[in-house]
Amino acid sequence: MSATENGLVTVRVTVNGRAYERAVEPRKALSDFIREDLGLTGTHVACEHGFCGVCNILLDGQTVRSCLMFAVQVDGHAIETVESLASPDGTLSPLQQAFNDHAGLQCGYCTPGMLMTAKEHLDRHPDGGTDEEIREAIAGVLCRCTGYQQIIESIRAAATTGKGA
Amino acid sequence: MKPAPFAYHAPTALDEALALLAAEPEARLLAGGQSLVPRMRLRVEKPAVVIDLNRVEGLDGIAVDGGAVTVGALVRQQALVDDEAVFRAHPLIRLAGSHAGFHTTRHRGTVGGSIAFAAPWAELSATAITLGATITARSSAGERAIAAGDFFLGPHQTALAAGEMVTQVRFPAADAGTGFGFHEASPRWRDYATAAASASITVRDGAVADARLTLLRAAPAPLQVDAASILAGRAVDEAAIADVVAALDGIDPPDDVEASGRHRARLARTLTERALADAWANAKEAAA
Ligand code: FES
Ligand code: FES
Repeated sequence: MSATENGLVTVRVTVNGRAYERAVEPRKALSDFIREDLGLTGTHVACEHGFCGVCNILLDGQTVRSCLMFAVQVDGHAIETVESLASPDGTLSPLQQAFNDHAGLQCGYCTPGMLMTAKEHLDRHPDGGTDEEIREAIAGVLCRCTGYQQIIESIRAAATTGKGA
Repeated sequence: MKPAPFAYHAPTALDEALALLAAEPEARLLAGGQSLVPRMRLRVEKPAVVIDLNRVEGLDGIAVDGGAVTVGALVRQQALVDDEAVFRAHPLIRLAGSHAGFHTTRHRGTVGGSIAFAAPWAELSATAITLGATITARSSAGERAIAAGDFFLGPHQTALAAGEMVTQVRFPAADAGTGFGFHEASPRWRDYATAAASASITVRDGAVADARLTLLRAAPAPLQVDAASILAGRAVDEAAIADVVAALDGIDPPDDVEASGRHRARLARTLTERALADAWANAKEAAA
């Protein structure tokens, strides 16, 4: 991280395995940086105040709310967004496929945050864990459509296929 | 909303951070940012200077020594809750700490940040008081220790002076035969606490030797109830619990959009009963 003359700060960050370098204003949210500066619009923002979890991404392997970090803070770190899940040819990951098969999404607005949060859960509990553990894992992501039950079933199904996230 | 512009500093040494804070006492310290950043986005806070502590070395250690737990201010809440040695020394930390937000917010949220922010619903504040923790406050002029029981003065008000920051929280070892209880009520699972009770009871020879009870949202600041003088020498049966609950008669919890003070007072009584019953059961088990 280094300051430039016009008040911008240079950020070097690895996103989905690819290195990026950009100059940003310190107040730029990580969520806006990902969407606007990197053009990765898979990460959604809704409340922008930390309440909904729709903007959840993985920072060094752990979920964080990207609307509650500044882009300058991820200099030198590695991020994964929802774009990391599907194969380059567009084949969905087992987790995404399970959401598709089990109606784990309707409007899709919460889905990027839900998928990254579910991926973290499955990385830690490859067998899916208990239903209570799944509920606890996604408790911080709001979905206004599904009623959550289908999301829990989708995560359970992804675990049962044995292919994880 | 987007935060107002600010000058950004990311020191790597504590002395450097403290010197920046001494030069800019109005600066905001950015730790996990799970409370500060929403406030900046709402523009409730428009700091001209933000000092990001996340690159400061030496503030993120957890040490467990003979049952005492020392936690650096920058330790993430999830790391504290997950730590097995911490859990063995003080089960209350996991019990109460896992109610603080969600996994995702605890990955960023720090122990020192929660303590310094002093939100009225903060489970870690009540935990620190119940466990008799000591908070280390440091400025460029030096360091002092503040008992958690003297630290929280009101909503977002603490004993910290200008230029001071929390660097460490130390939980002393629990006495043998100590058990803990924690109960919380919230509108949705894992939401902010509408009310909470945290209790610790130490049993000796089958009776209470010491007891502590801390209530959240029963008053503007965490409320310390003198349960020890009511329970000392007794078994914690229904009558004993009723005596502690009777001592809550005078509480006047704040009203807000989430709950009336009257509702909070009822919750305080029920959660007290549950927390004391759990603490007693766990203490007897620990003493056995
Ligand atoms: S957009 Fe980040 S938590 Fe809602
Ligand atoms: S699918 Fe619409 S918000 Fe979750």
